Amino acid sequence: MSSVEILRFAVRALVANRLRSLLTMLGIVIGIAAVILLTALGNGAAKFIQSQITGLGANSITVIARAASGTAGASAGASSRPLTAADAAALADPQGAPDVAYVAPVVQTSATVASGPNSETDTVIGSTPDYFPGANQVVASGRGYDQADLTAARPVAVLGRTVADDMFGVGSVPLGRTVLLNGSPFQVIGILQAKGQGGPGANPDTNVLAPLTAVQSTFTGFGNLNQIVVGARTTDSQNAAESEVYSIIDRRHGITNPNNRDYQLISSAQIAQVLDQTLSTFSLLLAGIAGISLLVGGIGITNIMLVSVTERTREIGIRKALGATPSAILAQFLVESVILSALAGAIGVAIGIGGTLIPLPGGFRAVVVPGAVIAAVVVSIAIGVFFGGYPARRAARLRPIEALRRE
Amino acid sequence: MTRAADDRSEAPVLDVRRMSKVYGEGETAVHALREVDLLVRRGEYVAVVGQSGSGKSTLLNILGCLDAPTSGRYLLDGLDVADLDERQQSILRNRQIGFIFQSFNLIPRTTTFANVELPMVYAGVSRRGRRERTRAALDLVGLADRADHRPNQLSGGQQQRVAVARALVTRPALLLADEPTGNLDSASTEDVLDLFDGLHATGRTIVLITHEERVAARADRTVVVTDGRLAEQAGARP
Ligand SMILES: Nc1ncnc2c1ncn2[C@@H]1O[C@H](COP(=O)(O)OP(=O)(O)OP(=O)(O)O)[C@@H](O)[C@H]1O
Ligand SMILES: [Mg+2]
Repeated sequence: MSSVEILRFAVRALVANRLRSLLTMLGIVIGIAAVILLTALGNGAAKFIQSQITGLGANSITVIARAASGTAGASAGASSRPLTAADAAALADPQGAPDVAYVAPVVQTSATVASGPNSETDTVIGSTPDYFPGANQVVASGRGYDQADLTAARPVAVLGRTVADDMFGVGSVPLGRTVLLNGSPFQVIGILQAKGQGGPGANPDTNVLAPLTAVQSTFTGFGNLNQIVVGARTTDSQNAAESEVYSIIDRRHGITNPNNRDYQLISSAQIAQVLDQTLSTFSLLLAGIAGISLLVGGIGITNIMLVSVTERTREIGIRKALGATPSAILAQFLVESVILSALAGAIGVAIGIGGTLIPLPGGFRAVVVPGAVIAAVVVSIAIGVFFGGYPARRAARLRPIEALRRE
Repeated sequence: MTRAADDRSEAPVLDVRRMSKVYGEGETAVHALREVDLLVRRGEYVAVVGQSGSGKSTLLNILGCLDAPTSGRYLLDGLDVADLDERQQSILRNRQIGFIFQSFNLIPRTTTFANVELPMVYAGVSRRGRRERTRAALDLVGLADRADHRPNQLSGGQQQRVAVARALVTRPALLLADEPTGNLDSASTEDVLDLFDGLHATGRTIVLITHEERVAARADRTVVVTDGRLAEQAGARP
C-alpha cells in the first residue's frame, strides 16, 4: 500500500466525518491561538515596561527625602530632616564619595505654564546641567542650560515635548520664544526628546527644566531640595556609589538604624531588578494560563480521537478482514491525526499572530514569542498524533472479528 | 468425500482437525463448535446448512482467518494458521480469501466504488487496474449505476451485491460466503448463484452458508451443522 493511498484514505475519512474533524481542529486552534496570544501579551508587557525603565538615567541614583519609617516610639529624637544643599555638597566631595561622578541637586514645583492663550499646570524642575544625563533627558533641538545659565540664574527653560506641543502647537520648535512660568517670563532654549507615558503622573514630556538658581529665585526660595541626583562613574561602580551615598547621608542625618532612614535611594538598577521579578512572575502566570488552555485543548483532542477510533472500530475490522495489515491501519489513523493537527495548528498560528496585531489600550503591543509558537505547534501535533495513534494501535491489534463485533 | 473432488486435486485447501470454539467462560460459556473435522479439496463447492445459532458463522469466520479456534488445528493450503502472525494473516486474507459477511460490513459514508476497490488497494493493484476491475465487478452484480452511492443509500439486496462484488474483485482462490443470498429476491439470487457457478467452473473453492434448499442444491456437497457438530448430508450428489 503506497503512501499516496494512505493519504487518500485519510483525506477521504476526514471529509466523510466533516463535523467531527472540525470539532477536533477547534480544540487545537483555540489551544495554539491562546498560547501564542497570551505569551505575546506577556512579552509585549515586558518589552513595554523595559522601555519605560530605560527612561531613567542609566548609572544614576536618586536621593529622595521622606519621613522616617518605623513606629513613632522606635525612632524617638530622630526627627526627619530634609535634604539640603549641604547634603549635596557633601556627596560631591571626591574624598568621601570617590565613585560619584556628579551631583545634581533638584527642586521641583508645580507651576502654571502659559504662552498667549494657552495655559496649563506642569512640573517645573530646577537643577544643574548634570541633571540631563542623570535623568536621561536628551535635548532634541536647541540646547540644555549650562553652567553659565546656572551661575547667572538666567530665566531659560527647556520644554518637554508635550509642553511645547500644548503651548506652541504640535511639532513646533519654539526656540527663542517666551513662556510664562507662574507669570515669570522664561526664554525657551531647548526641546526635550519625547519619552512617552511612563506611568500615571510621571510623564517626563510634561516637565519644564530650568536652572536650579532660576527656579529657586523665582518659585521655591533657597531652602531645601526635593531630590539629589547622583551619577556613578561607571555602571560597575553604581553599587559602590550607592553605599557611599548611604554612609554620607546617614552620618549627616545622624542615622544609626538603616530602617529609620529619613530618605531613600532609587536607582535604575534597583527598579529594573524589582520589575524583572514582577515581570517574571507575570510571565509565569501567563505561561501557566497558556499551558492550561493547551492542556484543555489537548484533552479535547484526546477525547475526540478516542471517540473517533472507537466509533470506527468496525471500520477497522472491515479493513482488516479485507487484508489491511496492522501497520496500514495505524498509518491511516496517524496520517489522519497529523493532517488534522497540522491544519489546525496552521489556523491556530494564523489566528494567534493575527490577534497580536489588534491594537491594545495603554499603548503597548503584543509581541509574538517565536519559541512559544513552535512549542504550541509541536505540543498540539504531538498530542494529536499520540492520542490518535494510541487507540488506533489498540484497534489495529484486535482480531478482525472482535473489531467487527464492536458497535 | 466425493470421488469428483478426489480426482481434481491433491492436498486439501481447508483441513480442520478436532477444532472447538468456546465463547465466554465458566457458567456462561457457549460451545459454538465441538471438536469438528472438515476437509475441503481444491475446487470443491460446499454448502453449509443448519439451524440458526448452530455455529455456521463461527465456523466460517475461523475458516476466513477472522477468528481463532479455542482448540484444535486449522490448516489452510497445508499451512497452520496459528503459526502466522497478524501481518501474515492479513496478507493471506487479502490474497487468498474472498469473504462475504452475513451483515455485509460495508464501510459507512464511503461510496460503493471505494468499498469494492478497497481490497485491491491493500493488494497494491495500480489505480488504473483497480478502476477497471471495480467497474467490471459492479457490472457483474448489476450495480454499475450505483458506483457513487453510499451504503445508506442502497437497499439491503444492493448492499449484499456490493459485498459480493467486493469479495470477487481480487479473484480469490477461496470464496467464503455467509448467506450471500439472504437478502436477495429470486432473480438476484439466481444471478449470484450463476456467478458462483462460473467461479466454480474456473476452479475456485467455495464454502457457502445458506438456509435455502435451492441454493444448497447447487453445491457439490452439503455439510450440516447441528449444535456445534458437523455431519455430511446423506444423499450428496456424486
Ligand atoms: N461473540 C460471541 N459471544 C458469545 N456467544 C456467541 C458469539 N458469537 C456467537 N455466539 C454464540 O455461538 C453460537 C453460534 O453462533 P453462530 O453465529 O455461529 O450461529 P449461526 O449458525 O451462524 O446462526 P445464524 O444462522 O443465525 O447466523 C450461538 O449460540 C451464538 O449465540
Ligand atoms: Mg450466521
